[in-house]
Amino acid sequence: MGCEITNRARAGVINPMYDCQPAGAQYAGIGVKDCIPLVHGGQGCTMFVRLLFAQHFKENFDVASTSLHEDSAVFGGHQRIRDGVMTLVRRYPQLRVIPVITTCSTEVIGDDVEGNIAACRKMIKEEFPGRKVHVVPVHTPSFKSSQVGGYAECLQALIKTIATAKAAPNGKLNVFPGWVNPGDVVLLKRYMSEMGVPATVFMDTEDFDSPTLPDKSIHTHGRTTVEDIAGSPNALASVSLARYEGASSAQYLQTEFNVPAHVVPTPYGIANTDAMLRKISEITGKPIPDSLIKERGIALDALQDLAHMFFADKRVALFGHPDLVIGLAQFCLEVEMKPVLLLLGDDNSKYKKDPRILEMKATATWDMEVVCNADLWELETRIKNPDHKIDLILGHSKGRYVAIDNNIPMVRVGFPTFDRAGLYRHPTMGYQGAMLLGETIANTLFAHMEYTKDREWILNTW
Amino acid sequence: MPMVLLKCDKDIPEREKHIYLKVDGEDSRDFLPVSNAATLPGTLSERGCAFCGAKLVIGGVLKDTIQMIHGPIGCAYDTWHTKRYPTDNGHFNMKYVWSTDMKESHIVFGGEKRLEKSINEAFDEMPDVKRMFVYTTCPTALIGDDVKAVTKKVMSERPDVDIFTCECPGFAGVSQSKGHHVLNIGWINEKVGTVEPVITSKYTMNFIGDFNIQGDTQLLNQYWEKLGIQVIAHFTGNGTYDDLRSMHRAQLNVVNCARSSGYIANELKKQYGIPRLDIDSWGFNYMAEGIRKICAFFGIEEKGETLIAEEYAKWKPQLDWYKERVKGAKMAIWTGGPRLWHWTKSVEDDLGVQVVAMSSKFGHQEDFEKVIARGNQGTYYIDDGNELEFFEIIELVKPDIIFTGPRVGELVKKLHIPYVNGHGYHNGPYMGFEGFVNLARDMYNAMYNPLLRLAATDIRGNLNTRFLEAAE
Repeated sequence: MGCEITNRARAGVINPMYDCQPAGAQYAGIGVKDCIPLVHGGQGCTMFVRLLFAQHFKENFDVASTSLHEDSAVFGGHQRIRDGVMTLVRRYPQLRVIPVITTCSTEVIGDDVEGNIAACRKMIKEEFPGRKVHVVPVHTPSFKSSQVGGYAECLQALIKTIATAKAAPNGKLNVFPGWVNPGDVVLLKRYMSEMGVPATVFMDTEDFDSPTLPDKSIHTHGRTTVEDIAGSPNALASVSLARYEGASSAQYLQTEFNVPAHVVPTPYGIANTDAMLRKISEITGKPIPDSLIKERGIALDALQDLAHMFFADKRVALFGHPDLVIGLAQFCLEVEMKPVLLLLGDDNSKYKKDPRILEMKATATWDMEVVCNADLWELETRIKNPDHKIDLILGHSKGRYVAIDNNIPMVRVGFPTFDRAGLYRHPTMGYQGAMLLGETIANTLFAHMEYTKDREWILNTW
Repeated sequence: MPMVLLKCDKDIPEREKHIYLKVDGEDSRDFLPVSNAATLPGTLSERGCAFCGAKLVIGGVLKDTIQMIHGPIGCAYDTWHTKRYPTDNGHFNMKYVWSTDMKESHIVFGGEKRLEKSINEAFDEMPDVKRMFVYTTCPTALIGDDVKAVTKKVMSERPDVDIFTCECPGFAGVSQSKGHHVLNIGWINEKVGTVEPVITSKYTMNFIGDFNIQGDTQLLNQYWEKLGIQVIAHFTGNGTYDDLRSMHRAQLNVVNCARSSGYIANELKKQYGIPRLDIDSWGFNYMAEGIRKICAFFGIEEKGETLIAEEYAKWKPQLDWYKERVKGAKMAIWTGGPRLWHWTKSVEDDLGVQVVAMSSKFGHQEDFEKVIARGNQGTYYIDDGNELEFFEIIELVKPDIIFTGPRVGELVKKLHIPYVNGHGYHNGPYMGFEGFVNLARDMYNAMYNPLLRLAATDIRGNLNTRFLEAAE
């Protein structure tokens, strides 16, 4: 009994859990309106990430490449940065932001990104006087960190470059939810609106779920504007819901512009959502409205029908983004499931000191393992080991075959979830998200009981 | 009216050389788009990299081989779960990907030890697997890791394993095409001839350039079995590593995808004197023609005619049912390269569909020569098309259906144009007689989707109302 925190012992990876830094940077970049990220590297670094986003959201997102070829590898890719930026500026008149995202190759070559961006700014000024395009250097070598760190890096780089001065207070709250789905963003915006709290969500990905329209217009893009970013130093406070995908930006705004930064528990599950709302209420002085008390009550009502009857003692393996995995482990405990295996997929040494993990470690009365720098082979070998007796997997689609081949029920959550329809639309955060996830878990377990003829007759009378 | 400068390309006028509109009386001797040339930065090209051309397209298809990617994690993550090439052994190739997960210290101090450890671990973790491809990536090539020395060392220490090294950094060449070339040439020079096949038939061939997309290879294999032809190696659909080492013993090389795999067929001809026969495997006319050519080579024409007659009897009525309903449709093809020339005439002959625009990501001059020869007048032939060009071309040609990848498919859905997955298919296989019926069915189901009509309806009754975003 008790919790053990380990590392992947192998050098190599079999089935990675996260993509590399530039992928995360691209995800942050597409959250900005009138923005096309320009990835400085080989074409695959862009093409595959665009495909990944398309797989998850069933939408197309624009990301450009500097198309690094051999000559640049030898002589440097300076001209390709300049050509790339200027081609985008010329061909896309609405464009206001271009994050220039580096990769392993261009970091190894050592291209002077800042210098070339300065040259681009001058060219833009000369060719398009009166037009402002923010060209943002984003250093994301693929051999450091992962998509998790890359997301945080790009977010912070955008703020650093665009939010250069503090002006009159705008009374708004900066909300950094981390790498979440549009469904979560919509929920958070609704919560703020119901509380009467003016807020800006970084990044506002609501329109990643975009309509097909009679006029054929296309509205698939981020909603966070240059003004939103430029105004972030004027906020009342920053609330980061993700320790690893937003806290650094909140911290930056505190250090540079004295915007108080708060890292709150990632709002997965009831108690974490309670804590988030209490903190926001405390910061803004706005009371938590009846509408959210009702939503909370409905979620509790629904989850109580499931927890002790169906969920209790179920042994759960979780993998995915760190704040998601840790938050969902807490949610599991809330509904009486046992999070026995948590897989975190990069070498960030801070995971081991995460207060939420330490709390679980201190209180675990069950056997629990946290594997840092993990791959999905760590999951597969444990799933195949009968001693582990995993009843349920919570994770993204890259782990699908572990579930399929070993006949373990799996609920898709996080990013990417390309093998299930429409999940990006639904919140996982908040009371509603907890309820939806709980019910999806229940229905998945019920279907599994039926397919495996495992006491399916229990449901004859439920 | 030869080369076309689109409006969206006014700031990148060099694109004019890449877009050709065929008019009456012209052919590819007059005009040919520039192809296989460097992409302009920032154009939102569709191209991938040499690494993906090697790993994702060719090597990763093999059903018994570990795919070790020496580089940072993204190269492995991104070339996993992006293809539909099943195998008859439970899809080992689609379930796993391996990476040396290079970190900064390996960039600084070299990644050779890391690679050696990762290779040994992979074989230890999966003791039944004895074959491996190792791929280099951008950073490992830049820092100059001696990958071949490492694989040689492992092979000397583990005599039961065999490893092929593919030097295919993403920045090599101008597209994935470079990776195809590197893998082809590396394989023929290092591995072909190192295993002797068991010969079970008088008639032997290699089937080259078919990657078992949704079971293409397995479908065509039924034909070769009926004809009594032994396929020594499939390059690489549902293929094995050792089969590919014994390619030198075939009497004939049949090539479907000449772009990705023509190189190895040429080398097999040069080095072993094995003749090369190019066929098209998509479409009734083409498939029948291909079978006839193969049978003529082996002198088994009668068997071939019997097979073709059987297949026609079985599938032609279904094809014709769809033909009645899709004929006259205007189609666009935006894929890699060869499918342009494989499909343009087959959909025209077999289904009465007119291809009005085609864009190739990585085709070379010979691909454009073929497609312009086979294609129609009034059709646009585009090299390395980019997103704004696609919008403009769609306005110009107004296609009824587009065969392209899922991401572009999502884009054109907003324009009320249905797409069929031209890379991984909707519900394939698409090769062979049965396969082309599948293609026709998917095309029909896409075009006759009732939602398309609903999408074009403005229930406010005013077609001029512009949609305003909530944020506006």
